[in-house]
Amino acid sequence: MAWLQRSYIRLQTLFGRERLVEELDAEMQFHLDEQIAEYVAAGMSPGEARLAAMKVFGNGTAMKEQAWDAWGWIWLEQMGRDARYGLRQLKKTPGFTATAVFTLALGIGANAAIFTLVNAVMMKSLPVSDPETLVRIGDTADCCVNGGAHEDGKYSLFSTEVYEHLKKSVPEFDNLAAMQAGFEYRPVVARMEGTEGSGRAVMGEFVSGNYFQTFGLKPAAGRLLRDEDDTKGAPLMAVMSYDTWKNRYAENPSVVGSTIWVNTKAVTVAGIASPGFFGDRLSSTLPELYLPIESMPQLANVAYVHDPGTNWLYLIGRVKPGVQMVALQAKINTLTRQALSETEAYSGAKEKKYLEKLSVMLTPGGAGIQHLREQYETNLQMLMAVSGLVLLIACANIANLLLARGMRRRTELSVRTALGAARGRIVRQLLTESVVLAGLGGLAGLAVAYAGTKMLLALTFHAQQSVPIDARPSGAVLAFACGLSLLTGILFGVAPALVAAKTDPADSLRTGTRGTTAGSSLLQRGLVVVQAGLSLVLLVGAGLFAQSLRKLESSDLKLDARNRYIVHINPQTAGYSQTQLEALYRKFAERFHALPGVVKVGLASYTPMEDNNNGFDVQREGHPDTQTMASIIRANAEYFDSVGTRVVMGRGIREDDTPMSRTVAVINETLKKKLFKPGENPIGARIGSGHGNQWEIVGVVEDTTYTDVAWKDHGMYFVPAMQRAADQKEPITQDESLYLGAIVVETTAPVNNMEELARKTLAEINPNLAVVRSQTFAEQISNCFNDARMVAQLTALFGALALLLATIGLYGVTAYTVARRTSEIGIRMALGAQRSSVIAMVMRGAMSQTALGLAIGIPTALLCVRFIESQLYEIKNVGVGVLAASVLALALASLLAGLVPARRAASTDPAQTLRME
Amino acid sequence: MGKPNDLVQGTLDLLILKTVALEPKHGWAIAKRIQQISREVLQVQQGSLYPALQRLEQKAWIKAKWAETETGRKAKFYSLTASGRVQLEKEEANWNRLSAAIDLVVQTS
Repeated sequence: MAWLQRSYIRLQTLFGRERLVEELDAEMQFHLDEQIAEYVAAGMSPGEARLAAMKVFGNGTAMKEQAWDAWGWIWLEQMGRDARYGLRQLKKTPGFTATAVFTLALGIGANAAIFTLVNAVMMKSLPVSDPETLVRIGDTADCCVNGGAHEDGKYSLFSTEVYEHLKKSVPEFDNLAAMQAGFEYRPVVARMEGTEGSGRAVMGEFVSGNYFQTFGLKPAAGRLLRDEDDTKGAPLMAVMSYDTWKNRYAENPSVVGSTIWVNTKAVTVAGIASPGFFGDRLSSTLPELYLPIESMPQLANVAYVHDPGTNWLYLIGRVKPGVQMVALQAKINTLTRQALSETEAYSGAKEKKYLEKLSVMLTPGGAGIQHLREQYETNLQMLMAVSGLVLLIACANIANLLLARGMRRRTELSVRTALGAARGRIVRQLLTESVVLAGLGGLAGLAVAYAGTKMLLALTFHAQQSVPIDARPSGAVLAFACGLSLLTGILFGVAPALVAAKTDPADSLRTGTRGTTAGSSLLQRGLVVVQAGLSLVLLVGAGLFAQSLRKLESSDLKLDARNRYIVHINPQTAGYSQTQLEALYRKFAERFHALPGVVKVGLASYTPMEDNNNGFDVQREGHPDTQTMASIIRANAEYFDSVGTRVVMGRGIREDDTPMSRTVAVINETLKKKLFKPGENPIGARIGSGHGNQWEIVGVVEDTTYTDVAWKDHGMYFVPAMQRAADQKEPITQDESLYLGAIVVETTAPVNNMEELARKTLAEINPNLAVVRSQTFAEQISNCFNDARMVAQLTALFGALALLLATIGLYGVTAYTVARRTSEIGIRMALGAQRSSVIAMVMRGAMSQTALGLAIGIPTALLCVRFIESQLYEIKNVGVGVLAASVLALALASLLAGLVPARRAASTDPAQTLRME
Repeated sequence: MGKPNDLVQGTLDLLILKTVALEPKHGWAIAKRIQQISREVLQVQQGSLYPALQRLEQKAWIKAKWAETETGRKAKFYSLTASGRVQLEKEEANWNRLSAAIDLVVQTS
């Protein structure tokens, strides 16, 4: 208990210092007064008594200091004093301080921002219990619905049947959950009972009944899904996400148990998912509703849920403790092979061979399905490298600034040493100063990091919706940033101090003011050269990405986006059966044509430049199967005109291509090239999947770009919206492809409320018809370049940052050199040197460093292109234009950085410098 | 003897502890008392008492309280704490052992 008492006393001493000092003074004064009184009583005069009393007392000041020492907080006090002194010193040199803090803030901020994003996208676990024991079956972000035999034997998507087989036969899993891979492409339309108006298109994810149990989640209200909910014929149940409950229903408890209309069917809200749980994957379109898989045929009217040949589920399970992953993987492979070998897709001998290659990888499942990671990994890694380079440049700058400052303070330090300051004390003081500076920089860096992360998130996710990534820098980021700035500060702040403290004070006092030496050290100039080189590399990179973006944006998409609007719909979610569609599509065309200024109304499965594709193996009748993949689109007669695709041969789709007439197709030029010899007339030939006799080609259209600009050789064929091939086995009521996904409206003049008009028009037809998404055609196209634009903008930003920092660095060193050589320059000018020759002399120094930087930077940049080549569109090497622009930018910046101090040098007054001697 | 530097720190601590063991005393009284008891042999430089007092206070062996003296002035009175009493016993025992040993050496040689 004694230590407790002592700690208490010590804390009291720390915080009551001023009172203690006063008390000590009073106490000692009392002592002296008593002593004097005694001497006076003994017969001395007051004066004599005073002197005698002071004599027996001893040196009062020394005693006081010894007493303070006993309090034991002297080091803290000194540190505080050093910090205050440091701050004062920094305030005296606002230029230096601002530059250093600015540099540190940018360097640290940029890195912390990028790292926050990297951490969230690539490293962070889902907010679920024990993410370490979750294992995913599969390793890629394969999406969304596929079938057929996989030649490479790789599987990340599974059919309901395989899932159930694995769930039954792998007791190593405590729980094995399945979740819909492509929910983002199939929003449901939901309407809360009792609310007015049409439904809202929301993300609804179909999951297995044990989904929440597998993740170990607790409901925020009500209950979560159970296995009983995921059985055929069970009452329809849904779990709502916490965010939706909070934002849309103000956490109203009566939501639990109420009815919500999902795709026109009544579903009961069983409960609310736990706060913070955003689903099994990071995305900008988070699920608002979780629905059992078994309710999917009823709600979404899809046939594939129980089709053993269709893969559409991701699997994540929680393994029991002590399970060997290698053995488990082997077992799962065997079981999957077994299950697949019984399916139709693997009935042939060739396909059976593929099965031997089957390999299902087990991967850590704690981070969920890492779609974003797969999408952005290369981008993020590159950005990390780039921001790392910027940080390096920033550190070089700080080093340079501190070195220069340390040298300049040599005189001050010498004086202090000469006056008796201990070397350790001086070093400690400089250290404190560096730490104060680093602290300021780190603090400013945090602000930059926060703003930067917000900007990055806005750039990455285009502010579509809330993203479950916290912009606040994490503890690790903070520690990293502060540690780094501290290290820089200490390394480059103390080194010159030590050097200065070691020199004989008399020596440096003698020569301190007069220097004819070159001024800046080799180290300093070396740092500037490296900075220039690095920033050139970054500038070239930025130039390449800008060029790539320009190429992408200016590529000929063979379409017309002027005054075109795309309204995405899903008639299936409004409860339409396939047999009602023909009438519905006619009504769409009629009603939209009735709107003022509408020229064309196109209807199609999907449209150019959107993230969608539906491809099949296509062959020509009477020709062997050449394994030609082509995308199919169902469209109406006005569709080609509405998107601006030109018919180059034969005809397009016509009004009279009805389900009753012969089945026809229009192919694009690429597919023509793939299936026909040059000069061969495709009109009248028949193509299709299977035997290739499903569709008769009636026309050829030009290659309008679908899905992605980088997708060259994209064969496509277009068929009338409601025609079905004669040999189609499935009944019409199971043919999902008949549901079209987009209405394309062409108007005579821009319409700015198309979304509202579309909403009203659709609601008039049927209040359950919701607008899934509505954009202008131009917006849709522009969105396809978002990622490329983000990379271009960020690399440009970092390039500019690097250039700025390098310029500051060069300016700093040149200015320092000029300051050091003031007297030398003064003498030169007194001896007749011209202003111009002084400027030339300084500029030569500055430019030679830049030239050296270029000599290092250009080959480095040329070498580095191959690291980013894969991310560039049709650019294989550094063009002369990009290189010249980068070199020019750097040259101009360094010219500027050199000119300012050069002019100052040239305006040196010789008389004044000579007098200063 | 008599020079303050001759007085090792530990001994001064012991003297202070012993002096305030009977009743609370202020600094000047402690100095006077040490001089009187030792019949003026121990001439501590009075000021050096104060760092020692601070040290002992930090170690929680003595505690201080402001109070009025007989002459009506405010002064800081030091008194022994429980842990100080333990420390005093320890140091007394040490001292006794040491002085007995020295006695033995001085008298037998």
